[in-house]
Amino acid sequence: MRNVVFSALLALSFSTSLSHAQSAWTGADDLPTNPLACDATPATPAAADYDGGQPTNAPDRKGKTIKVVDVPKLVGIGYFNATSKGIADAAAEMGTMDAKTDGPSKANIDDQITLIDNYITSGVDGILFAANDPVAIAPVLKKALAAGINVVGYDANSTPDARQWFVNQAEFNGIAKAMVDSMAAEIGEDGAFAIVTSTFTTPNQARWIAEMQAYQAKCHPDMKWLETVEAQEDNILSFNQSNTLINKYGDELKGIFGMTSVATPAAADAVTQAGKCGSIAVVGLATPNAMKPYVASDCVKSVVLWNPVDLGYAAAYVLRAAADGTLTPGATSVSAGKLGDLSVINGSEILLGAPTIFTKDNINDFDF
Amino acid sequence: MTAMVDLPPVRSRTGLQRQGFIRRLFSEYGQEIIVLSAILVLFVVVTLINPRFISANNLTTIFSGNAYIAVAAIGMAMIIVTGHIDVSVGALIGVLATISGTLAVAGYPIWFAWLAPVVVGMAINAVIGILVAYARIPSIVVTLGALSILRGGLISVTGGTWITDLPPDFLIAQKRLLGFPVPLLVMVALTVLAALWMRYTAFGRSLYAIGGNAEAALATGIPIARRTVAVFAIHGAFAGLATILFATQLQVIQSTVPPNLELTVITAAVIGGVSILGGTGTVIGSTLATILFATIGSALIFVNVSAYWLRAVIGLLILATVLADMLRRRGRG
Repeated sequence: MRNVVFSALLALSFSTSLSHAQSAWTGADDLPTNPLACDATPATPAAADYDGGQPTNAPDRKGKTIKVVDVPKLVGIGYFNATSKGIADAAAEMGTMDAKTDGPSKANIDDQITLIDNYITSGVDGILFAANDPVAIAPVLKKALAAGINVVGYDANSTPDARQWFVNQAEFNGIAKAMVDSMAAEIGEDGAFAIVTSTFTTPNQARWIAEMQAYQAKCHPDMKWLETVEAQEDNILSFNQSNTLINKYGDELKGIFGMTSVATPAAADAVTQAGKCGSIAVVGLATPNAMKPYVASDCVKSVVLWNPVDLGYAAAYVLRAAADGTLTPGATSVSAGKLGDLSVINGSEILLGAPTIFTKDNINDFDF
Repeated sequence: MTAMVDLPPVRSRTGLQRQGFIRRLFSEYGQEIIVLSAILVLFVVVTLINPRFISANNLTTIFSGNAYIAVAAIGMAMIIVTGHIDVSVGALIGVLATISGTLAVAGYPIWFAWLAPVVVGMAINAVIGILVAYARIPSIVVTLGALSILRGGLISVTGGTWITDLPPDFLIAQKRLLGFPVPLLVMVALTVLAALWMRYTAFGRSLYAIGGNAEAALATGIPIARRTVAVFAIHGAFAGLATILFATQLQVIQSTVPPNLELTVITAAVIGGVSILGGTGTVIGSTLATILFATIGSALIFVNVSAYWLRAVIGLLILATVLADMLRRRGRG
């Protein structure tokens, strides 16, 4: 009976040694990539027909003060406090928007639908939302459009025809460019790096990695891609995997990319505890709060994410433009206050712009 | 050969059954020896491929980085030996980590921030034990409920925010004592103490009796209900100790726990030779199994094999171990 266990262990050591020659998996998906230009030239938006919805018999709201409710995924967390602040900033700046935020206390789609339904009944001019579920939220948003309410999404989309516009915080190729450019700036054009991701099949991470690969090949061809390791959404595993990478590659490893807000601080901690701050760079996607200790100690120089205050701010301006009738299907850009002109992409989405890179200089301005 | 392998390790023997030392060792610690051999084989093979595998730093990563799982698996092994299961330990560790970190940041003495998860862990698990022992609810049901309550409560209370600005003295898992990482020392000390306690004390032996045959244990005068509550409380204390290592490894405490942590802990106990049906197994086995997982995980990176193999291999190991256990039981019956 022990033979069963023995054979399993034998199979393990066999497969381990057999696969030795096999090259490491990169963790990227197989979808086509669209790397941005190596300089700061913005992407040329691909032409796509408008696929959003339109309010039925909306009254003329041009220039009039409008009543707007913002329904984020949930309230009470730093991220959506920041988007609410952006919306409030924009409303104060415009002077013609009466905006309030009201969301579920936990990220629950049923609570969110009920809440939106109540606001439709009580009567508002505009709804801003970040959907907990793109499909489940669609019927109640369509009901709002049918009632003549302007509907704009941000952060998390619904099906396109359930809202007029969606403010997209970052495209995959934009994040990829910011990540790889930051890494190249820190470790040089010939540096070698590894990636700690959640799992190879997590859609967003796989997409980002694919775009990073394409952009690195195009714009930083001499950088060396060592390998990608999985660490689930597990902070201690991320820490252990980062340590193993450091142990395996020694001085060859110059940089680690963290692909999740769990992996990035854990990688930074591994580098800190290994005494490699300054010789191994950590660049990653993460929320500023999680990264503050590592940025303060100078171990991490670049944290990549979009700015949620700007995201809320842009969403408020888009809603205003839609209500005023200045942003109509077929438009290629929209003016968003201090953010300038934002371009329309994918038919009915508005791109916030390049992601924000949080550094020692600005990270303490953010609380999420 | 009489199939005595899954009886409690200490037992009187008649002259007819006296066996050689090696054979006895194998019959009492068969699974532990297999797991240990697997670790050694892996170390030799991977080191031949890449000598950096046995660098001091990598040994620290393997042995110290997963010590919290081994500590949690000690308590889990006791629970499973007694014939129960606990699927809530991952969520419990998350809750206890948040409590400990919050106290440390709020300025309470460090020792208090370390003691709190142990005490609270014991209290919560004592309640679970009471429900299991006196209300006679199967432990899988009670702990599934506890899992939901703890996980939901954690997210509701923290709102997903992370604890930062932990005082440096609090971060004991990052420290070294006599040149060894503290988590490693804690793991070894607790494993040895728990193994001796389970083997040589009346209380420890009674756990095997309860898990092996509860009616017979009751007939011999073992207070089963009280012992069940006690073993759950002890398991809670080990979860608290695991929490200290878990929460102090990094400079931030997340309000989430590693996904499937409870399954990892249960798997460590089972592959270490603890019978899922109760009555046999040791905490040496569960600790060795945790080290085996860590070794496999590190080895896969060193030889460039996808981490998917880790899951496949661990799945295979579980099936093989449980199958071997079933076959042994059938052979005995």
